[in-house]
Amino acid sequence: MVKKEFLVTPGEPVGVIAAQSIGEPGTQMVLRSFHYAGVASSIATSGLPRLVEIVDTRKKPATPFSYIYLKGKAAKDFDTAEQIVKKISEVRVSDVARRVLENFSTGTITIKLDEQKMNANELTPRGIASKIEKLMKTESAVSGNAIQIKTHTKKAKEIRMMAVHISKLTVNGIENAGRAVIKQDKKTEEFYIVTNNSSVGQILQVDGVDTSRVYTNDIFEMYRTFGVEAARNTIAKELDIVLREQGINVDKRHLYILADAMTFSGGIKNVGRRGLSGEKESIFARAAYEETVKHLINAAAFGEKDDMRGVTENVLIGKQILLGTGTVSLAIKKEDLAKISEKKAKK
Amino acid sequence: MAKKSINEKCYVYINGKILGYVKDGRAYSDEVRKARRSGLLSGEVNVSYVKRLNAVHINTDNGRIRKPYIIVENGKSKFTSELREKLAKKEIDFAYLLRHGIIEYLDAEEEENALVVFHENEIANDTTHLEVDMTSIFGFTLNASPFPEHNNAARHAMLSNFIKQAQGLYATNFNLRFDSRSYLLFYPQKPIVSTAVYQAANMPKHPSGQNFVVALTTYYGYNMADAVVLNKGAVDRGLGRSMFYKMYSDEERRYPGGQKDIFRIPPATAEGYLGEHAYSKLSEDGIIEPETIVDEGDVLIGKVAPPRFLEESISAGGLEEKIRDDSTTLKAGEKGIVDSVIFTESTGATKVVKVRIKSLRVPEKGDKFASRQGQKGVAAYIVPQEDMPFNEQGIVPDLLLNPHSVPNRLTFGHLLEEIAGKAGALSGKIIDGTAFAEKGSKRIEDYGKILEEHGFDKFGDEVLYDGITGRKFRAKIFNGVVYYNRLYHMVSNKLQVRSRGPVQILTHQPTEGKARQGGLRFGEMERDVLVGYGASLLLKERLLDQSDKASVLVCKSCGNIGYYDYIKRTVVCPICGGTSIAEVEISYAFKLLLDEIKSMHIFPALKMKE
Repeated sequence: MVKKEFLVTPGEPVGVIAAQSIGEPGTQMVLRSFHYAGVASSIATSGLPRLVEIVDTRKKPATPFSYIYLKGKAAKDFDTAEQIVKKISEVRVSDVARRVLENFSTGTITIKLDEQKMNANELTPRGIASKIEKLMKTESAVSGNAIQIKTHTKKAKEIRMMAVHISKLTVNGIENAGRAVIKQDKKTEEFYIVTNNSSVGQILQVDGVDTSRVYTNDIFEMYRTFGVEAARNTIAKELDIVLREQGINVDKRHLYILADAMTFSGGIKNVGRRGLSGEKESIFARAAYEETVKHLINAAAFGEKDDMRGVTENVLIGKQILLGTGTVSLAIKKEDLAKISEKKAKK
Repeated sequence: MAKKSINEKCYVYINGKILGYVKDGRAYSDEVRKARRSGLLSGEVNVSYVKRLNAVHINTDNGRIRKPYIIVENGKSKFTSELREKLAKKEIDFAYLLRHGIIEYLDAEEEENALVVFHENEIANDTTHLEVDMTSIFGFTLNASPFPEHNNAARHAMLSNFIKQAQGLYATNFNLRFDSRSYLLFYPQKPIVSTAVYQAANMPKHPSGQNFVVALTTYYGYNMADAVVLNKGAVDRGLGRSMFYKMYSDEERRYPGGQKDIFRIPPATAEGYLGEHAYSKLSEDGIIEPETIVDEGDVLIGKVAPPRFLEESISAGGLEEKIRDDSTTLKAGEKGIVDSVIFTESTGATKVVKVRIKSLRVPEKGDKFASRQGQKGVAAYIVPQEDMPFNEQGIVPDLLLNPHSVPNRLTFGHLLEEIAGKAGALSGKIIDGTAFAEKGSKRIEDYGKILEEHGFDKFGDEVLYDGITGRKFRAKIFNGVVYYNRLYHMVSNKLQVRSRGPVQILTHQPTEGKARQGGLRFGEMERDVLVGYGASLLLKERLLDQSDKASVLVCKSCGNIGYYDYIKRTVVCPICGGTSIAEVEISYAFKLLLDEIKSMHIFPALKMKE
């Protein structure tokens, strides 16, 4: 229940106010983008670059993170949490290999494994070999800490490409999950997992993961796995994080307006030429923004019609805008009103 | 290995051109230096060994910026105490020191090879040069202001600019000069707190400021945020008073085809005739007379010119040749007295007239003042003398500076100058404020002593009384004498208003800029503010009614812009020929946009709701 007094007045230009409320403090942000040195958590892009990233809806953030909360015993017990980390944390061949050698004359690739790294990840040479065999569909031979793989080709280029491919193979954990680290919430003392990648879909299937609280700062990943509503909330939340970090206090409702504007179509639209501004209904509003000639010519080619309902168009032609005091207009003329009452009287 | 052998050769360049190579560049450059010091080579030769390139650069060309240094050899300055004494007795001069290799000039490149110290006691084994004086780390403008070593560097940048903007006695032949604009301070004073550089540059002979009595106090909020309060009594007595001179000139130009301009009162038939009244102040020759009081719009130099295009004079056909009025008028918002008129000749042997207008500039609200400490302020209120604070001797400050102007900006020099100026004024002596000449604490002691001798508080604080209530201020007020400059930014030269005025031809929107009687732009962000507030009618007024409102006839059937046919006395649509046309009010900019769209071969049709 929302009390009527708290509702915004009809005709209030909430979008313009939101834009001003975010834009004005944003101008100060450029000058104040400071960095902490050495603190791991602050490696994430912040400040204006991150803000630009969000409103431009980049397909992948420059520094993706995902936060995986745990349920049941894992949330309270470090060892159980670590078991889950082992299932999630992505280990590639290059992570455990000391060297990857190609032999072009015999057409074999030899992977020399690092014993320490293997132990740390609880992996065996044989296990890795079988995984490679399965993924690459080749045969291999294990001797000690070395794996020899047959390539069935003598072409140097193919061998090199295969070696590169093999060293990128995921041998443990979830592909594209990134490196996972356990962290503890200072308040609730709850353990949770942070990964340095945004791939979240498969993580949901891991036992012990609290699926209702999985979160990533990658808006598109949230959109793919949880839908638009989640994407919208992520946009608002990420904007809030950026602004809060800079000590800027912007009301959340302004951010919600922006997030809503970006997602109301069911997909994610950016703010700019290829999104919100470029897809406006009015020809004049689009032409006034960017690529003026393109919009005018297309409008002419398709015989488009401008209804002149937006702000930009009406400012252009010099008409009263349909916002604020311009919202209201005469519904019935005085003479017409007299006619109606006459009709009523007849009945 | 081959590469290395090349590097072993140290190439020698003279003015960028290769001369040859030596084995040891460092030793070679030392040798050249020695030759220069002994007088074998000119003192204008500079040599440097560039370690990065393993090369010796010798420069003798012009345009290098060079600076003198005292030579230090074997850990000892060559400028000995005996030489110092001799110099003081004027037995020797600077040229002697240069000749005898005691002082030498280094350029930027050679400076890279030098290790310079400020003081003699800092000399180490590898020191090569000694700074002639500590003040040489500052430039001229900074050294001409007192106590720069007590101020923040950011203020240095500002004060260096302000000094250049100060009104004063800029030239002693100002009466003969016809500068396009000049400012002349009526009663320039030499500063009580002076510096060695200021004296050496003969600046006291043409100063550019006055010694103001300054109290560091607020005045009913009139000196908030870099505003200053002035004493009307002082202003009436000539404080900061100046004359503003502006020169207008014109030339009798010659055109191809034997035509030329003529200085004369234009006939009423001339194109662009301004009306009889505008020329009323001109004398017979068409030029204004000295001592005439002139106002905006008055013609100063009457001139007629041939028409701009040849066809015009031909098509006119009549006996009398068509002429154009090309007179020079006093610009909008200006007034004054004609100071001087000269006739002269240009290099192209054409007649030139120069008219100098003067106008009195008494300090008023909005004029800018600055001390020599980077403390600028705009006069916000000129208080009658009886309302100003005063001390028990009846001394009334000339200027009230807000105390908040000091702590954040770290202009301790300003405070120091106040006490120094006060001490100088009391003792009748010029105080030396040269940078690094004395320690700050020593200075405060010295000036405090003088103040106490004359019965003042040694820190410059005084009991002041409010001029309005007559009551004693609860706190003692710090005051003193500070040298202030009146800068040439004056409101009377900048003030501009517009209610109606000229519009641009293309867009029918108001013009921009003071010279064109323009308005202030109501820009995109200002528009957004009104949109955000929902003030749709105010927005329309700003952007349409007060700007480029246009009444346009639009065809109801085809949506094209029509016109009124005065012969047929009907409205017509040029496209469909229809006569059912509505008159709509739109911005001229939109009409222009429609025209431009049409020029792209796109037909924009306007559909109207009834």
